[in-house]
Amino acid sequence: MSETTLRPRSKGKPVPEPAGEPTARPSRASAEKPSTAPVTVAPKPVLLGAGSRHFARRFSGGLTPGLATSVSKAGGGRAWFEKQLCPGRISDPSGKAIDTWYPRLKQTPQQIFNGEVPWEVMGDLSRWTMARRIHSSRQLQEVMVDFWSNLLHVPLMDDTAYFYRVSYDRMIRTHALSSFEQLLLHATTHPAMGLSLDNAISTKDSPNENLGRELLELHTVGVDAGYTEKDVKQSARMLTGYRVDVWWPEFRAFYDPTVHSRGRVTVMGFTSANLAADGRAATKAYLKYLAHHPATAQRLARRLCVKFVSDHPSPGLVSTVARAYRTHNTSIKATLRAMVDHPEFAKSAGKKVRTPAEDYVATVRALGIKVLRPVDGNSFANAMYWQYRELGQAPYEWPAPDGFPQDNQSWSGAGRILTSFATHRNLAAQWWPTHEARFRSQDSWLPTLPASVDSVIDHVGRQLLGQPPGPSVKRGVAQVIGRTLNHRLTQSEADQYWTVIGIVSSLLDSPSHLSR
Amino acid sequence: MTNDTAACGCPEFSLNRRRFLAIAAAGGAGLAGASLFGDAFRQVTYGAPAGGNVLVVLSLRGGADGLSMVVPRGAQHDLLGGYRNGIVVPEGSLVGTSTGNAFGLHPALAPLLPMWQAGTFGAVHAVGLPAPNRSHFDAMEVIEDADPGSSARVGWINRMIGLDPAATPETSMQLGSTLLPTSQVGPAAALGADQVADLQIAGLGSSAAKRRASLRTMWSGDKSALGNQVRSTIDATLRLDDLVQAAALPTQDPDPGGPDNPLNPVNVSSYPKGQLQGVLANTSALIRADLGVKVITIDYGDWDMHTGLGSTDPSTGWMFDQLDHLAKSLTAFFSDLGADASRVTVATLSEFGRRVEQNGDHGVDHGYGNAMLLLGAGVNGGDVHGVWPGLARAELTDGDLAVTRDYRSVLWEVLLNRFPEVSGKRARIFPGFVPETIGAMA
Repeated sequence: MSETTLRPRSKGKPVPEPAGEPTARPSRASAEKPSTAPVTVAPKPVLLGAGSRHFARRFSGGLTPGLATSVSKAGGGRAWFEKQLCPGRISDPSGKAIDTWYPRLKQTPQQIFNGEVPWEVMGDLSRWTMARRIHSSRQLQEVMVDFWSNLLHVPLMDDTAYFYRVSYDRMIRTHALSSFEQLLLHATTHPAMGLSLDNAISTKDSPNENLGRELLELHTVGVDAGYTEKDVKQSARMLTGYRVDVWWPEFRAFYDPTVHSRGRVTVMGFTSANLAADGRAATKAYLKYLAHHPATAQRLARRLCVKFVSDHPSPGLVSTVARAYRTHNTSIKATLRAMVDHPEFAKSAGKKVRTPAEDYVATVRALGIKVLRPVDGNSFANAMYWQYRELGQAPYEWPAPDGFPQDNQSWSGAGRILTSFATHRNLAAQWWPTHEARFRSQDSWLPTLPASVDSVIDHVGRQLLGQPPGPSVKRGVAQVIGRTLNHRLTQSEADQYWTVIGIVSSLLDSPSHLSR
Repeated sequence: MTNDTAACGCPEFSLNRRRFLAIAAAGGAGLAGASLFGDAFRQVTYGAPAGGNVLVVLSLRGGADGLSMVVPRGAQHDLLGGYRNGIVVPEGSLVGTSTGNAFGLHPALAPLLPMWQAGTFGAVHAVGLPAPNRSHFDAMEVIEDADPGSSARVGWINRMIGLDPAATPETSMQLGSTLLPTSQVGPAAALGADQVADLQIAGLGSSAAKRRASLRTMWSGDKSALGNQVRSTIDATLRLDDLVQAAALPTQDPDPGGPDNPLNPVNVSSYPKGQLQGVLANTSALIRADLGVKVITIDYGDWDMHTGLGSTDPSTGWMFDQLDHLAKSLTAFFSDLGADASRVTVATLSEFGRRVEQNGDHGVDHGYGNAMLLLGAGVNGGDVHGVWPGLARAELTDGDLAVTRDYRSVLWEVLLNRFPEVSGKRARIFPGFVPETIGAMA
């Protein structure tokens, strides 16, 4: 397995380095020197208030000075959140540039099928997704795409479905902030879902229950909603007809009335005579019914609260959110508003563990790394796949149909913690990957020296984490660089290889970076 | 779907199959929750009982062809040859004997014959899932989850480890990858690492002790589950530290290619080159360090032999290469374990067997019934256990070897034999499952 096997076929033009003053001092790293941005005077970062910071940390990939400025300009966290709910109105030059990096993502399912390297196209999709999470200004959109992709999960490397996975992603993006009714309808009838959960081979004579069951268990009402095995069978019958001719060169997704199972369908209070050979209207009515079902409302509300509030949302919060969902016709925006306007949201700051993918995105953002157009397998945008995959949560690579777990406990394992620490160090020290990426110079983190170790750590922490580090974090960081907090750090001490790297990397290992 | 290639979705996967299967098997790096039991036990001083038994689960990913590994003799071989003209392992080339001389082993397994003859290597045939599942992806999930009908998605090893209130992250480990397999996913802690040397806290220029102290200080005010887990991880790295430091030394001395460095317990050059070399050397070092590990999972991929499985000469072809590496690697492993071999058992699992009849490419497509190999301590070896369903066309399940015994029956016998403390707790490990007696363990 070579790292270059997943590189884009058509190499993009390398982005020229910006002209400017060289950095004040040469990099101390003995390894290959990455390009560093010319930072003459570090702009004083905007420090958000706790409430605004909470909004920004929950609905973005992580705070950056740029994001803090946007939030501040918008008039605070809640106002910024409202703006983010309309991603189409947010100018996104970085996202637009990233959209041109991976031309294979423009291929049709048929082209991907015939291209013999579908897993490489999936690698492109993975990298493009992470690059957007890192640099797009439509941060809430990226967060919600992740959320829905896990609920309506089609595993990235599902060897039957991946020809259609890019198209599926496009569908999720289109509907990520519309209504769940629309999202469910399009996801359930999408060829990627049909192939992944066998609906594409389900026929009236030999119905396959896979999607019919997961639609109830995972996508809507939930396993405890009280449906029966008979309901599952009827659910599967209702969905018959949506096919994909993967064995033909057309690689067509189509509806085949001849395999649709006609006749009355009754599932959890839904009834359809289902007399027409073309069952699409009846299927649509069934999916609409499920989207609006009170059990679906409760389950989605709870899942949103577990993702964006805490692992143990109160029943009051969940019902408030579920009510908004139902009264607003499954509108996703209205549901999110009800959640963030509940007092429990404001009280939940810092209560969620950053998952490995969130940690990776937040780390790159915090370090101010600018990922540039990739030219080969060593380019940051491409090589980062191996780095974030080792961290354990490459987008959509959860193998089972239930999507990545959302709870803190699942992401608090020892292996994850050690790998996170190692990744923080590798990126903070600018070891790998470094090609086609711009890094801040290590000096740019520092205040004017000499200064007390206490104030140096405070200065770095404000830029890196968007907030002043607490007293125990400061004491811990001072320990690793072997100084007391009162010590006056001189320039030559700061120039020692591990001083800045030790401070920056330790701060990334601290509780406020590993949670959000 | 009418076409086998399209149906299995793996058209000409030869180069990338291994990677795909590794990905498909991934649970998420270190995705392993904090302990089921909160943090109370973590406050007490840890002392793993020395000399405990160890189970190594070796996953043959891709669907290994059991009918080429443990091959029927006599009339059943004639039947098999009828289905597999040109790729059946010739009867005359088989090695090893079994009750009634019913089976022999692929000649590439010859290096393991001394263990077979000593009774520490045995096999069970025609085992598998309760219902056929011919998707790599689904079948791996189902076999490692081992709790059909449950939506909990906790693996069988994780459920077993969860029974032990003294379990620590290093009680249950995956080596060769930080990604835990489905069998290890769940609420009990588990540790995944490419190699033993990685089980350390990334250094920042200070001494390891200072780095640990620094992390403890930074996290001292954090009483969350993550904070508890960070402290427990720091403790685990401390317990593993001697081993990890030694394993981080150069493996060979003085140069790569030279003999093993006596100061490094990972004896890489004692193993044949190939997929299993590093991972088995690390596994052995971890076991010999006797730090309380109970279960280690390892992947050995590249068994998806839709093409070029073998030929009339059984000493060539894909299957020969895979088995040759397996046999020589396991031989080296038990030898490297030395006296500790007496507490180590290896069990192989593969997501499915393969079709009885060959396809047009000298390969076999995805099938059903399969063989499991058991080696080491407690094994009732030198024989093939299980109930043979026969290879006459009417005896096949949709063209596949039938499954006469659930694979969980075998695993349960292994667990009971090696970890008697699980006795009476079968329903917690394999919920709702009633095993049948196999006799695979002594």
